[in-house]
Amino acid sequence: MSEQFTRRDLLHQAARGTVLATMGGGAGFLVRKAHGQVVWQVDAARCLNSRLGEVGVEACNLCTTKCVVALSAVRAVNEHSRCGRCNICPAYFNITSAVDARGLPSEKLCPRDAITRKPIGKADPEDPANNFYEYLIDEEKCDGCGKCVMQCKEPLGLGSIILRIRYNRCVDCNRCAISTACPKDALIQVPVEKALT
Amino acid sequence: MQYRQVAVIGGKGAGPGQFGASLRAIAVDARGNIYAANDSQITVFDAAGRLRRRWSTSQPVHSVAVAGDGAVYTGQIRQIEIFDGAGKLVHTWRDDALLGRVTAIGFVDGDVLAGDATGRAIRRFDAGGRFRNNIGRDNPLNGLLIPNGVVDFGVDAHGIVHAANPGKHRVERYTPAGELLGHIGHFHGTDPAGFGGCCNPTNVAVRDRIYVTEKAGPRAKVYSFSGELEAVIAADVFDANCKNMSIAVDRRGRVYIGDTVKLTIFVFEPVAI
Amino acid sequence: MSGADLQVCAGRPGGPPRAGCLPHMAGWATRLAILVMVAWGTMPAQSIPYQRPVDEAPQEKSIGGGYKTPVVQKPLPRNSWLQVLDVAVLAAAMAISSWLVLKRRNRKSVVALAIGSLAYFGFYREGCVCPIGSIQNVAVAMTDPRYSIPMVVTATFFLPLVMAVFFGRAFCGGVCALGAIQELVLLKPVQVPRRLDLALGLLKYVYLGLALFFALKPAAARDFVICRFDPFVGFFRRTGAPHMLLIGGAFLLVGMFVGRPYCRYLCPYGGLLAWCTRLARRGVTITPDKELDCGLCIEACPYGAIEKMRAVRRNCLYCARCYAACPRDGELARAKAQLVKLS
Repeated sequence: MSEQFTRRDLLHQAARGTVLATMGGGAGFLVRKAHGQVVWQVDAARCLNSRLGEVGVEACNLCTTKCVVALSAVRAVNEHSRCGRCNICPAYFNITSAVDARGLPSEKLCPRDAITRKPIGKADPEDPANNFYEYLIDEEKCDGCGKCVMQCKEPLGLGSIILRIRYNRCVDCNRCAISTACPKDALIQVPVEKALT
Repeated sequence: MQYRQVAVIGGKGAGPGQFGASLRAIAVDARGNIYAANDSQITVFDAAGRLRRRWSTSQPVHSVAVAGDGAVYTGQIRQIEIFDGAGKLVHTWRDDALLGRVTAIGFVDGDVLAGDATGRAIRRFDAGGRFRNNIGRDNPLNGLLIPNGVVDFGVDAHGIVHAANPGKHRVERYTPAGELLGHIGHFHGTDPAGFGGCCNPTNVAVRDRIYVTEKAGPRAKVYSFSGELEAVIAADVFDANCKNMSIAVDRRGRVYIGDTVKLTIFVFEPVAI
Repeated sequence: MSGADLQVCAGRPGGPPRAGCLPHMAGWATRLAILVMVAWGTMPAQSIPYQRPVDEAPQEKSIGGGYKTPVVQKPLPRNSWLQVLDVAVLAAAMAISSWLVLKRRNRKSVVALAIGSLAYFGFYREGCVCPIGSIQNVAVAMTDPRYSIPMVVTATFFLPLVMAVFFGRAFCGGVCALGAIQELVLLKPVQVPRRLDLALGLLKYVYLGLALFFALKPAAARDFVICRFDPFVGFFRRTGAPHMLLIGGAFLLVGMFVGRPYCRYLCPYGGLLAWCTRLARRGVTITPDKELDCGLCIEACPYGAIEKMRAVRRNCLYCARCYAACPRDGELARAKAQLVKLS
């Protein structure tokens, strides 16, 4: 059916054109600023569990409780090249527990038993005090509660264990629920290339 | 035995007698003068705590010790600079392989001992700077376990080297030739007689007893040579975040401890109970 | 609901409303508010320098025994090309939606598309990235110089709007996962009284204003409320806070009788789409000289998109129920045509 091209149609066309132009302009502006994929990451310098200076504070487990993923997307990660490989590791053992016959603390710290250790290098099977140990955190068991991170922190430890968001688990929320709750604003968005270096 | 604090020397800042940004080591000479290694300077105080002299070193300085003849040995990175009592540079010993970060210097029978934190060993040099032997390496197995970055030791009147082995929670005794004689100390998380945390004690000084400092629950303690805890010198006065506090003891038994965060030297004196 | 009430908003049947109409002004007020709101920067939390000299830790030669330091795993996020694929699927789904509704006029295939979208955008992608939430990102990116938005999110925001400018709310019909889940639970549609429908419809703009208010706060205080209070994301992720799952369940329960309550009364993006639809040339049309005046389509439409025998395109959620009910158009007509031959 043919329609007369009325003034209303002209206004409509004009309005459509204006709206599309505005949208195009807006999109162009945003695209020019775009820098690709961003992901959330925990800033170790701000995170309560790993930042220097806080002593005698309870480990913060907001990363575990606030994350929308079932068993949080945050894990404690041991950066091996920075680890002291100590025999009495305050993140592995609960160093205030009773000392057993071998001179080691009797209890382990991790509530989910996620940290394992094995002697490395030239190892003495008789005396654990003589050895270096490699500490490995099992990511399937860890839930990011932060207890080991708080114990590993300087000056007690060397700070090799920090909380890290694992990208195979993180759903990359628009506004990370942990970031809203974090008391130190430690959750930051970084370009994905930077997060993986 | 108990100790009481008698003086506080230095502080953080740029004023005279203050330590700028770091306080890494202290030493005491036979007359009771206190030498502090801070930033790239050596600062000298007299026994009453007044600033006497200050001079610069060419690199950031990590340790200081005063020889019997008054020469001041300063440990830096890959070198040891030797100054006379007035602060004039007399010798420089350089060794890229054997001297990493020199965190302690001591003297035994005319030889100079340098604690190399990078190589985790104590190097023995003769008076002319020629290397003689290592102490604490591969003995018994992995030698000195040093996760905290500082090798420290003291030499007693008999020439026995008492080296802190923080990874094993003990202070080990060596002959100057490097033979391990024994050790004192054990790990314990709660008992003050033991060493807590992951690596303690961090620093040690020896005169008539063994004086040690610890971190993470900072405190200074004194043990007899047989390993009994004689006193906890101080604990709460130090900053909770300090690490690797240097310790020195003078002839009168006064203990000098350098807090690495407050950048202050605390002086303690034994009191008869 | 008297005819007089209808006169307040509608200019001519099917045409744009008269200026002065309340939803009209609310929409413009919100637009103005967007322009006026300016995000101010904030100082980031001061951090203590985090120096960890690596040579303090024992290195391989100190450990000896041929030990090699293991490399710390760095699991990769989802490939960015898959996000581009999501945008492509979005565009394709909207194209299919408008074709199915406007050309094929087939309700069954619209339901199939809704199921497919629910599976892909809902349960596979877990509801992210969605155009509704992208309003917040776009608003922040426009105002905060330090915030930049990935291109796929810009595309996700603008594509359904561009589609709406030409074809109307094709996004709402069978593409939006939140719409699809509500569409599929609608069992016994109840017509909402017109005045109530209009009043509740204003909530969309209130929500839009609130969402922008919280999104445009400084970075530390920024809160994306659309994401946080998404009632259905708990189902998509198969996990969530108990209160949010209950609210989602309540929406679905209500949605069994009241057609798509979130879409019509709360969706902020729906508000934007409704505005773009006013400019659309194509959309569901009830042709004046072909229609029978039977009113079956009005009864069939659960969304109040047909008034006085004319389609109100801005409310049309592309469900194709009207076509299914129409005796002259759609399947009914084609089915009858096979049986009856006009002599």
